[in-house]
Amino acid sequence: MLSTDMLALVYLATGFTVGFGHCIGMCGPIVVSFSLSLGKGNIYLPHGLYHVGRVLTYTILGGIMGATGSFTAVTAHMAGIQKGVFIFAGLLIVVMGLAMTGWLPSGKFFRDYYDPVGFISRGFKKLLNRATTPTFFPLGLLLGLLPCGPVYTALIGAARAGMETPTPFGSILTGMGLMFAFGVGTIPALILVARLAGMKWLKNRAIIYKFGAILMILVGVAFIIKAIRF
Amino acid sequence: MIRIQLINRFPIRTFPLFLLISFILYCSPVTIHADNGYRKLINCDLHDEACVHRVDDTDIILEVKPRPVRAMKDLVFTVTLSGNSESPKSPPYIDLNMPGMDMGPNRVKMNPVGENVYEGKGVIVKCPSGHRVWRATVTVPDLGKAEFIFDVIY
Repeated sequence: MLSTDMLALVYLATGFTVGFGHCIGMCGPIVVSFSLSLGKGNIYLPHGLYHVGRVLTYTILGGIMGATGSFTAVTAHMAGIQKGVFIFAGLLIVVMGLAMTGWLPSGKFFRDYYDPVGFISRGFKKLLNRATTPTFFPLGLLLGLLPCGPVYTALIGAARAGMETPTPFGSILTGMGLMFAFGVGTIPALILVARLAGMKWLKNRAIIYKFGAILMILVGVAFIIKAIRF
Repeated sequence: MIRIQLINRFPIRTFPLFLLISFILYCSPVTIHADNGYRKLINCDLHDEACVHRVDDTDIILEVKPRPVRAMKDLVFTVTLSGNSESPKSPPYIDLNMPGMDMGPNRVKMNPVGENVYEGKGVIVKCPSGHRVWRATVTVPDLGKAEFIFDVIY
């Protein structure tokens, strides 16, 4: 059996490869939405905070898996929460897309469109404006609970490794360490996607910006439908 | 700063129509077609019976219980080797993944429970994409690999 250090390296590599192979397709729409809604500001700090939150959630889940040693027992209790988070993510993407197109009656709340009048405007201004960059951290914490096949697979491994660790505390640490490594491994792919979506030449072209908004709404609706089916 | 005025170009009354179109696009051509494509690969019905794949002179028999095979449940995988070849020097193992979608490494380790019979516990995870076709690659050291592609209930 591999040592915990070696196993963590395997998890890091797995996160990296899965990030480019899977996360770009499944979680990419979320980071693209963030990039587009952030406008022309610096994307790295908000995205960095989002990923810190997401990886922290994975780490906590890893600790729980390590402690219990049972993937199915934990996920059975999480299913309802995950469905809710899935729906929330879809709604978030739809609302951000709508805000970009101006389809919401009071939806002019992102940067260029921001109008301080209106309840929804103020709420989302607080949620996603650059002035509230720290908000991306709790968003990452929450969206780290999104149902995701490779994350489940990694959690199975964390539970298994926890079972094979002799002490309870060691089991928790093993689970946390492995999921931390996995989460960190997924970051480069998603940062790359965020960077590409945040390119200035892209945003300065109205037609691409418009298609971006429409795609966001489509993807958000798809997320909601998938969440209802999940 | 370039100010993009899209508001007037998208009257709000078109939004329900847009939602309907997006729903149709999502529900019919893309995802269902993709899943149907993978369903054509299915070579095994593990919900009802054990599946057999022949490698050289040996039958590799895979059985998964409890039936029907559901995602996110503890499953017991049994591999039985039947034929002329000798027992492998080390137990077989099973790698679970989806055709066309990388779900990360998920290996079921197996232990001998009888002569040429091996058993291991594992979980097939649920993919939010809704695709339900999974692949179990059984590797028997010194003999080879057998791929079982099957449907899973979510």
